[in-house]
Formats: sequence, structure tokens, C-alpha cells
Amino acid sequence: MRKYGLRKNHLYGYLFIAPNMMGIIVFFLIPALFSLYLAFVDWNFTQKEKTFIGLDNFTRLFADEVFRTSLKNTLIFLAAVPVTVLLSFLAAVVLNRQVYWKKTIRTMFFMPYITSGVAISFVWMLLFEPKQGPINQFLQRLGVENPPGWLSSIETSMLAIDMIWVWFLLGYNMIIYLAALQEVPQEIVEAAVIDGANPLQRVYSITVPLVSPTTLFLLITGFIVTIKHFGIIQAITQGGPGNSTSVLSLFVYKTAFRYYQMGYASAISWVLFLLILSITLVQWKLQKKWVHY
Amino acid sequence: MKKAWLILVSFLLLWTMAACGNSAGNSNSASDTANSGSSPAASDSASKDDGKAKEPVKLMFWGAVPEEAGPKEVVDNWNAANPDIQVEYVRYVNDDTGNLKLDTALLTGQGVDLFISYTLPRLTQRVNAGHAVNLGEYQSDYNIESKMGDGAKDWQIDGKYYAIPTKINKHFYWINKDLLDKAQLPLPYDWTWDDLKEYAKTLNAPKQWGFLQNIVNNTDDATDGSMIGEGYTKADGTSNMDNPYFRKHMELLYEMMHNDKTTPALAEQLTSKMPTEAMFLGGEAAIYNAGEWIFRYSNDLKTYPRNFKIAFAPSPRLMADQKDYRIYGGLGDAVSINSKSEHQEEAWKFLKWYADGGMLPMAKGGRVPASKEVDREEAVKLLLFGAEDTYDVESLKKVFFSDAPTFVQSLDQPVIDLRKEEYEKYFLKAQSLDETVANIVKRHNEFLKTKK
Repeated sequence: MRKYGLRKNHLYGYLFIAPNMMGIIVFFLIPALFSLYLAFVDWNFTQKEKTFIGLDNFTRLFADEVFRTSLKNTLIFLAAVPVTVLLSFLAAVVLNRQVYWKKTIRTMFFMPYITSGVAISFVWMLLFEPKQGPINQFLQRLGVENPPGWLSSIETSMLAIDMIWVWFLLGYNMIIYLAALQEVPQEIVEAAVIDGANPLQRVYSITVPLVSPTTLFLLITGFIVTIKHFGIIQAITQGGPGNSTSVLSLFVYKTAFRYYQMGYASAISWVLFLLILSITLVQWKLQKKWVHY
Repeated sequence: MKKAWLILVSFLLLWTMAACGNSAGNSNSASDTANSGSSPAASDSASKDDGKAKEPVKLMFWGAVPEEAGPKEVVDNWNAANPDIQVEYVRYVNDDTGNLKLDTALLTGQGVDLFISYTLPRLTQRVNAGHAVNLGEYQSDYNIESKMGDGAKDWQIDGKYYAIPTKINKHFYWINKDLLDKAQLPLPYDWTWDDLKEYAKTLNAPKQWGFLQNIVNNTDDATDGSMIGEGYTKADGTSNMDNPYFRKHMELLYEMMHNDKTTPALAEQLTSKMPTEAMFLGGEAAIYNAGEWIFRYSNDLKTYPRNFKIAFAPSPRLMADQKDYRIYGGLGDAVSINSKSEHQEEAWKFLKWYADGGMLPMAKGGRVPASKEVDREEAVKLLLFGAEDTYDVESLKKVFFSDAPTFVQSLDQPVIDLRKEEYEKYFLKAQSLDETVANIVKRHNEFLKTKK
């Protein structure tokens, strides 16, 4: 007993995290385990009986065309993350130098992040309007004969969603990068200047490696945030037209709360979990190659 | 250091899982905010107060009509006349989130005595879960079929009534009479979709659509009105979605969108979220496929001023020789009594009163009572209140109270959705009609398999 007993300061530690842990266990761990169980049953939310059907939900999943489309769309959606990280890095590097209207521009970049998602959605819908929308008007002025239908076309709708998402995430990523840039030691940069490195070399050989932990952080959190997000898609297209913007998280939501097929929805969400887990693990393995602490 | 990172990341990951479920509430925030204020104030609902005889019984009545569009007046009328039974109206929004809210309240037994279901599949689910009282037990007291007419039969589940359908629910065509007269076309009554196509061609003009409908949520009437008699499945239990009626409807719409250009193409409707009712009332369309719910807008001459008369026509058949075409609608607003309610007797008393005319104030919003106890003239007067002179009342009565066979949508939501997903691709020219039909049949068959 004494050997394994709680030392007093340990006890305090546990006490301090207890409220939080209780919340996590009750509202999150138990439901998560419950959903694992649900993945193997057939259960309509309004009914009492749950029938155990083994792996049927999963076999159904891989035969389901909508699932495959959603998986593909999810991967397209995720592609927005590296693009955002790249663009926000460039924006941060530029803004970190002496530029006019620095604060104003910074605020402008950050604005989307603190604006209501629904409001954003409606503004973008107007911008993307195929005939009168400013984006296509502009393209037509440039001489594009048949500008894309954006949100109203099966081929381009996911691309349009990606563009909105990049714009939305950009500000947050940029702020994090700006903070990271403050940590880059000035003396290394000065040394490089004396050695004759041009600005491009300085960014590539000094800034990029030194902010690489931030890049990893932004990539991992970006992927996680993106894979679970469907708010703007629900507001703009509800997965349409057809099912060209149906992503997995939206598919889970629809299956669970529109069709009440809780078992099937749980199975999909566990696949979603495994997907993001593997993406993260791969990044984790690869980080040794390019992240410098 | 690394370990701490790993833990942090794994938590973030798990949070993803949880958030997928939780964010359900946020997604529809636009429509939900309006509703959140009225969430169940069920603190002192049906549970207590049994012992004291003088305490009034309190009933919680759930419906999806905004309080100010009639329900408040209904409930106030009742409460003033019945001090011993006080009814409180709780509004839920009739979308996924709102229905989830009602279903959760029913499951967890939090203060629902009466509730309105708006679609048959939703009611069926609630009945299967044992949430609704079999109202057939009260048959001697109140004969639903003789009061509401044969249309009530559509709402039977396994031959029993678990709800009273209370309102006339009809899809019909709104017609700009002035444009029709100018083109010297007669007001149609016995007509087909081919006629409609011709009408639309004649009436089409710059900035004026020949035909308009809300393609996002009101496209299926002609298909379903034809298929309900045929059956959605064949004798062998497989999908019947390759039915010629469906093809015909889709082909006609496609031609009207892309060849005649007499109705807005799907892409246009999607991106601008076309406010079809405002367009029709603003004179931008000659024929408008909708229903009685438009009166809410058309009576409001301040917001939607207009200088033309509106006439009405029934929804056209798909083919001239079609025998069994049914009009989308019939009866609606099915009110049930919660089987867990502790005040079923009182709830029944209220429900009878509500169905037999108590709901009349809601006619102003388009909800005309179906009961024979209600004076139709009075109901029509209320229905047109505020803009009486702007309608062709004769055609309204003829269409609205016609005996033409009707049907209640019974198709499961996943099937309605999958069909829409596929024909959207057709309207956007992303796949041919044959591919569309083949995909729908395939997906419908898959759905049928999971249902077994």
C-alpha cells in the first residue's frame, strides 16, 4: 500500500484535474466507446431495439458509392490545409517586414476567422454566382469565355469549397506564423546577410527550418479541424449538387441526424477516426526528416 | 516532450470524434437560433400537481408553426375558455435539427403531451417507438374518417389512427391571371405536363419565367403522384424507379430548363437560392408550382406588393391517358397524444376542440382545417385575409376543395434524397437520363436491402 500509495502532491494533482477528467469521461470517453459498440449494431435512433449485425455496417460502407464519393471529397477538402499553410507563411513573412498598413492588413487577414460561418457562406455564394457574381464577371472581363459554374457545378463545387476554406483558415495560420517569426534569432539572419545570402536564401535556409515546429503544428491541427468540419458545406450546398460536396463528416451527420441510422453513422465516424489517425501518424513519422526543434 | 505532444495530439484526435457528433447543433445555426429561445420551458410540465384538484392541468403542445402565425391565438382562445386545462405551445423547427429535438424530448420524456408530425415517415417512426396513443380507442367519441374524410386513411399506420390529420394540405399551381388573359389562354383545369410545357412557352418573356418551382424542395409532385399508385417497388421487391412516369417528368423538366428555357435551370436556382415565392409575387413568373403555404406571403401586400390577380389550377397529370394520378398533399398536420403523457384525457379534449375548428386562426397562415365541422366559407375568408380582392376565389375553391384523389408522401427520406442527388446530376448535364435512372435503381435497391 505504502509503496504504491498516492503521495500527497500526487493527490492534489489528481484533484485538480478531476473536474476536467470527469467531463471528459462522461461527455466524451463513454460516448466514444458507446459509438464503437454502435458501429456493430443496427439502430434507428427513435427505436429501442438494437440488433447486433457484426461487420455488416462496414461491408455496407465499402459498397456504398456515396461513401466513396465522400471519402474522395474529404481528401480534396484536406488539400486546402497545406495550401493554407504555404500561403499563410508567405503572407506572414511579407507582413513581418516593414510594410505599410501592417496592422490593417493583419486585421483584414484575421477577419474571416472571427466572422460568423453562415454570414461568410452567404457572401461567398454571391461571389461565386455563375452569371452576375463578381468572380465570374471578373473572369469574363479577362476574356474567359466559359467561366466555371463554381458551386453550381459538379466538377468545381469542391474546388470552390476549398477556396473558401483556405481563405477562412488563412488568418489564424498567419497569426501563428507571425508569432513564430518573432522567435527567429536576428543574429543568424545578420550572419547570413554578411555571408552574402540573398533574401530568398535567407527565407528558405533560415526561416523555414526554424519555424518548422510551427508548420508541423499547423498541419496537424489543420487536418484535424478540417476533417471534422462541415458547417460551411452544410450552409452553402448541403453536400450538393448531386453529392459533389458531400464530405465524410457531413455524411456522418446526415446519416445520424437526418436518417437516424445511428449504427451506420458510428461505423462511418470510426473510419473517419482511423483516417485522421493514420494521416497524423504518417506526419509524425515524417517529421524527423524536416522538423527541427 | 515528445510524449506530451503525442498525448496532446491523441486528445485532439479523439475530440474530432466527439465533435462530429456535437457540431450537429451548430450546423443549422441560422434556422436554429430563431428556435432556441422557445426550447422546452418544461420545468413544471405534466409531472406534478396531481394531488391538488384546483391546480390547472398543464399541457405541452409541440408544433412547428411559428407562434405568431396562429398557434398563439389558438392556445390563448383555449386557455381563456378552459381555466382548468392550460396549454402551452412549444415550437420546434420542422427540419432535421428540430425533429431531432422533438424526438429526443419524446425519448427522454421531457414534457410533451401533444405533438404534430408533418410527414408520414416521421410519424411512423414515432409510432413504432411507442410514443403515440392509438386514437382508435376514442372512435366511439370521435370518428376521424367521417370528420376528416377519406383522406385521413393515408395517415393510418397498420390500420390504426395514431394521429388526427387536421389540415388540408394541397399542392396546386399558382397562376398570374393577368398574364394568362393577355396571352388569351384559358385557365387550365384538366391538363397535362405537355400542356404546361406549351403554356410556359407562350407565357415566357424576358425577365418573366413561363414556369417556376422551388426545385430544391418541391420537384417531386408529378413523379410521386404518378408512382404512388404504381408502387415504388416491383412485385419481386426490387426498385420500380425506372418507371416511365419518372423518366417523362425528368425529361420534361430538362427540356424546359435547357431547350425551351422557360424555367430556371438548376444551377441558377442553387447558387442564388432563388426566393421563388417572392419572384412569383413580384410578377417574374407566370405559373408557379407550390401550395397553400404561399398564402403567408401572398396575403402580405406590404412586403410583396402586386397589381395582378392570382388564379389557381390543379397540378397537371404527366400523361393524357393516365388513370391513377394523385395530387400531392391530402391531409396534413397530424396531431398525436404522447403515450407517456399523464394527462391523456385532457389532451384528447383539447385535440378534439383543436381539430374541430379550434385551429381556425391558423387558416390565416394557410392552414385550413379539414374537419367537416368547420365552415368552409369562413375558412376561405381567413385564408385570403388581407388581400381578398387579388385572388380568383372561384378557381381557388374549385382546386382547393376538389375531390380529386390525393396522396401523402410515404417515401423514406434517404430515398427522396438519393433520387434528388442523382437527378440533380442529370439537370446539371453531368450524366444522362439513362445513367441517372440506373443509378437511382441501384441505390434504391441497396437501400431496400438494408431496410430488410
